[in-house]
Amino acid sequence: MSGALDPVVSAALRLGLAGLLAAAARHKLRGRAAFRAALAGYGLAPERALPWLAAALPAAEAALAAALLVPASARAAALAAAALLAGYALAMAAALARGRRGIECGCGGPAGSRALGPHLVARNAVLVALALAAALPAAPRPLAWVDLVTLAGALASLACLGAAAELCVAQAARGRELRAGGGA
Amino acid sequence: MQALLVSNLLLWVVVVALAGVVLALVRQIGILHERVAPAGALLGGEGPRPGERAPELLLADLAGRPVRIGGPDPGGASTLVLFVSPSCPVCKAVLPAARSLRDAEAGRLRLVIASDGPPSEHAAFARERGLGGESYVLSTELGLRYRVGSLPHAVLLDAEGVVRARGLVNSREHLESLCEARARGVASLQEYLAREKRAAGGGEA
Repeated sequence: MSGALDPVVSAALRLGLAGLLAAAARHKLRGRAAFRAALAGYGLAPERALPWLAAALPAAEAALAAALLVPASARAAALAAAALLAGYALAMAAALARGRRGIECGCGGPAGSRALGPHLVARNAVLVALALAAALPAAPRPLAWVDLVTLAGALASLACLGAAAELCVAQAARGRELRAGGGA
Repeated sequence: MQALLVSNLLLWVVVVALAGVVLALVRQIGILHERVAPAGALLGGEGPRPGERAPELLLADLAGRPVRIGGPDPGGASTLVLFVSPSCPVCKAVLPAARSLRDAEAGRLRLVIASDGPPSEHAAFARERGLGGESYVLSTELGLRYRVGSLPHAVLLDAEGVVRARGLVNSREHLESLCEARARGVASLQEYLAREKRAAGGGEA
């Protein structure tokens, strides 16, 4: 990977990634028991490691979110976030390969449960690509106040569209559930 | 340069507003999903089942006019018997829907409102709801024969006096589902879903 990003694009990516990680950490810390149960559902980690893992993952996410905000550590944090997200994607792919489709993914937003499916692996792959882009160096250029507007607008629309995409997927899943379980 | 700046700022405002609208619409779709999910009259386990001949009864309505329920209809019309009670709030909401359904079927559907209890109370209820012209019968026997449990309950009889569909109806959609059930030859929502499931092979649904 070579080349440099415009500072506004770079900042938007880093701030967006920080927001995503902070939100993820918050959900996991709020529903600790549920997250631990979701981890157990993957069946990848040994039973003894589960409590440790359930505490370490949100802590790592929160730390990375904070590190992304500091210019000095942002590049390293973006690379680490890419690695973390890639790890999640691998864990999901491994669970899917072992026929665990439909288990609680542990990545649910405020609405709670999300069933594990291939679309989540794809989502995480996209996030890994964005995190890698956030790790690219930013080319220096004088910033004007318009850049701030661009940054704010980009973050606001990304947040809205991301939430809308999540809701769409959740609703499609619920629709399938209704059709499948309606006759029972 | 000034023009570009203005257009850029304006476009950002529009983009953020549109993203917000998209999010709001998606949420609204979710709410609609919840609202419309199970739409159909729920069939209880007892009384004459769809496809069976209904008991034939000759009763009198509040004004003393004779009302026949069950048996072949001389005019070839279907009969919708709606069991209600003055003390049931949902019944009040379903009554206008039943009447407009009858009007929409224009002569092919006869509406009979059925209840039991002291006539004076029902006369007041009929006056208050403007049901003067309707066939409003009071009969404990009718409710017992059809084994009506929860109200409002609707029974749809065809011109031959055979039960075509029946069930607990809480909304206009439920009432319409009875007519839909008659048109499709399906007795109830449960049967429809079971049939769908069989048609899908029980696997992928």
